[in-house]
Amino acid sequence: MFEIKPTLNALMRSKLGAVLLILQLAITLAIVSNAVSIIQDRLTYLNQDTGYPETAIFKFNSLNFDKQLDRLQQVELDEQQLRNVDGVIAAAAVSSVPLTGSGSSDGVQLKPMPQESKRVNMGYVTGDEHMLRALGATLAEGRDFTEDDVVVSDGDGRLPSVIIVSRAVTDALFGPSKGLGETVYWGTNPLTIVGIVDTMANQWPKSSFGENTALIPVIRAGNFQKFIVRTAPEERAQVMRQIEELMLASHRERVISDITGLDQKKARYDARDVLMMRMLMTLIVVLVIVTALGIFGLSTFNISKRTKQIGTRRALGARKSAIVRYFVVENALICTMGLMLGAAAAVLLGQQLMQWYSVPALGYSFIAVTAGLLLLMSLLSVLMPALRAANISPSIATRSV
Amino acid sequence: MFTHYIDLAWRSLRQTPLVTFLMILAIAIGIGVTMTTLSVYHMMSTDPIPDKSDRLFAVQLQPMDDGETWATGDDVPYQLTYQDAINLQALPGDFLRAPMIRAGFSVHLNTPQSKPVIEDARVTDSDFFSMFNLTFIHGSAWTAAQAQSAAPVVVLDEEMAQQMFGKTDVVGESLFLGERRHEIVGVTQKWRPNIKFYDLNNGAFGKAERLFVPFSHVKAYDVDTWGNTNAWKFEETRDFNDKMNSEMVWIQFWVQLDTPAQRQAYGDMLMAYMQQQQKLGRFNREELAYGLQDVNAWMNYNKVISEDNKILVGLSFMFLAVCVANILGLLLAKFMRRAADVGVRRALGASKRQVFYQHLVEVGMLGLLGGAVGIVFAQFGLLGVRQSYDYYNNLASMDWMMLLSAPVIAISACILAGLYPAWLVCRTTPATHLKVQ
Repeated sequence: MFEIKPTLNALMRSKLGAVLLILQLAITLAIVSNAVSIIQDRLTYLNQDTGYPETAIFKFNSLNFDKQLDRLQQVELDEQQLRNVDGVIAAAAVSSVPLTGSGSSDGVQLKPMPQESKRVNMGYVTGDEHMLRALGATLAEGRDFTEDDVVVSDGDGRLPSVIIVSRAVTDALFGPSKGLGETVYWGTNPLTIVGIVDTMANQWPKSSFGENTALIPVIRAGNFQKFIVRTAPEERAQVMRQIEELMLASHRERVISDITGLDQKKARYDARDVLMMRMLMTLIVVLVIVTALGIFGLSTFNISKRTKQIGTRRALGARKSAIVRYFVVENALICTMGLMLGAAAAVLLGQQLMQWYSVPALGYSFIAVTAGLLLLMSLLSVLMPALRAANISPSIATRSV
Repeated sequence: MFTHYIDLAWRSLRQTPLVTFLMILAIAIGIGVTMTTLSVYHMMSTDPIPDKSDRLFAVQLQPMDDGETWATGDDVPYQLTYQDAINLQALPGDFLRAPMIRAGFSVHLNTPQSKPVIEDARVTDSDFFSMFNLTFIHGSAWTAAQAQSAAPVVVLDEEMAQQMFGKTDVVGESLFLGERRHEIVGVTQKWRPNIKFYDLNNGAFGKAERLFVPFSHVKAYDVDTWGNTNAWKFEETRDFNDKMNSEMVWIQFWVQLDTPAQRQAYGDMLMAYMQQQQKLGRFNREELAYGLQDVNAWMNYNKVISEDNKILVGLSFMFLAVCVANILGLLLAKFMRRAADVGVRRALGASKRQVFYQHLVEVGMLGLLGGAVGIVFAQFGLLGVRQSYDYYNNLASMDWMMLLSAPVIAISACILAGLYPAWLVCRTTPATHLKVQ
């Protein structure tokens, strides 16, 4: 009923047009399915929960240059002043800020260094007992730090004795739903896990150990200090505007810089991925348009070439629907061939990309869905020329020789 | 003859405005997409210091025990320990050398009116300026004696001088870095390489520093790095002094070696140095290794060009191939419809070769027009790149080389597409077409 045999015969007579279409469709399928797979991968990453209410938190830096200053006392004073600001829920001085791409990473292991034992890499943040509240992360098990847990580095020689970690760390060291109360070693320093947070990303959420995070209650009095402040989301902007003045009022000889929302910090850290996604989406859109135009153009050309034959067929009794069907079937045949070739090309391209770059494996479902959509697009682009062909009058055939 | 072909081509293009428009659009979109990704790629891979990129070498040593690994291709850390940097700096020999780190200070004039700003600084030796082609517009680098005694001196670039003092001739004036007063000894011309090739640790496209202080300040004033510090073994490091004596790596080191012989000699010196250190209990390994890579090799080793960019360049050339296939189809349609004209021309004496060339000229003209429009599209593309990622501001632009490549790629693509249709049309037998007329 679809007259595949004669359609194929006709195709074989003008191979080039068909070959061009097949090639276009094949390359389009290969590019689009791989691009969609990469986009999907980045989207999954971007939508991942970091564990922090990013729009309610901001950070800033303070660089002191007064040698006489009692830095420890100043940090304490700064924290106190921050907490007194209207709208501030919690504030803490920290060694680095999660999601920003800069900070310290280290490992913890089951036995003290230099003994060999199971080890997990993690990003860690040090600060006082307000750290967890300022980050807005929620404990799943255990307790928060207390004032007694906090030690001063280079102070009286006391070492930290407790640690709060993300679930990913305990999972890797002790297995699922274990770890609370266990001891891990940070260098030679034993730390008891007093709290576990289900989701808490570290400074490098994109990295292979992006979910391994630890909070350690150590304060270090340096001249460069980072602060995190949590407010109600709607009050953040107004609090951020006051910060510089407030801080300089209590101590002049310093520079306050980089007063930035945590969501903006994360956006900066992710800017490259967003750029890649935008580029790929643009590529997909123009590619689909160009391919659709190509199909449209070639079908139009084919039909104008075969005006006489169509007229003859109509004169011999073919219905309009038969003419439309002919072109649609022809296009579907070409399309199927192109998409089959394209599926193979997509798999090949995916393998190449995976071999050379850190790109996820291309799921076959991406190819299938893309192929389906391309088939639909192809049929839509052939429909208009086909309907026009159906309207060719039978008399055309008899008019000229 | 050529001008005649151009005239014919122009007429032919105007005859079928819609098809011409579609073809130009196809090639322009293809070129627009390709040039956008290619321009960024090109800027990322351009030699930042062409006149001496093969004479400047980043020095690496392998201090780690056997079995330790690193994120580099050959397991050698990117940076050096402080003690190695100091020892290499003291090696004999008549060549330029510069240990360096990136630090930062709050910079101010110590007056009530001047608001302090945080500014990155390069902590390095005076050889740095001649090695990396910085030119002084006022004063000069600090002297060896000043470096030796860790005198509080500073060199700034003209932009920084302008920002702090409102003028560039500021030699002899004082600038405060934190609480310390520094005397300005020199002002350099603005120096902003697109790629921060001499320190790729914290992003390859960051801004170059505008302040320079002697490397001896590291020890004298406890100037710590604002870049990366990496440890490969467990050591108790309580304070900065411990850090300087540790096996942590945090110093970059560059040398300028003008001849292969010098290079060879320097490599031997590095080996001898490590053997000597082995006697002191360091470099616990079977096989000693060092790295000595020139600027371009160093950028490659540090993977300056992002993976994403390579993928995009590949995909956009595939996209260009789709555009070429598209144009091929359209050209086929257009040329075959003109077979009758060609028949007449052939009958009037035009040779096959002439017909073939004439059509290629027409196709080339399409490419030229498409390339020109493509450059406009690419500008929009690059604008989009800059807007979504301001870190690429210096990179997302077309230099003259890319501007020239655009039409070349466009014309080549079009000629590739036009070869077969032109060949087909020139084979037309005049008789058949004359008969129909």
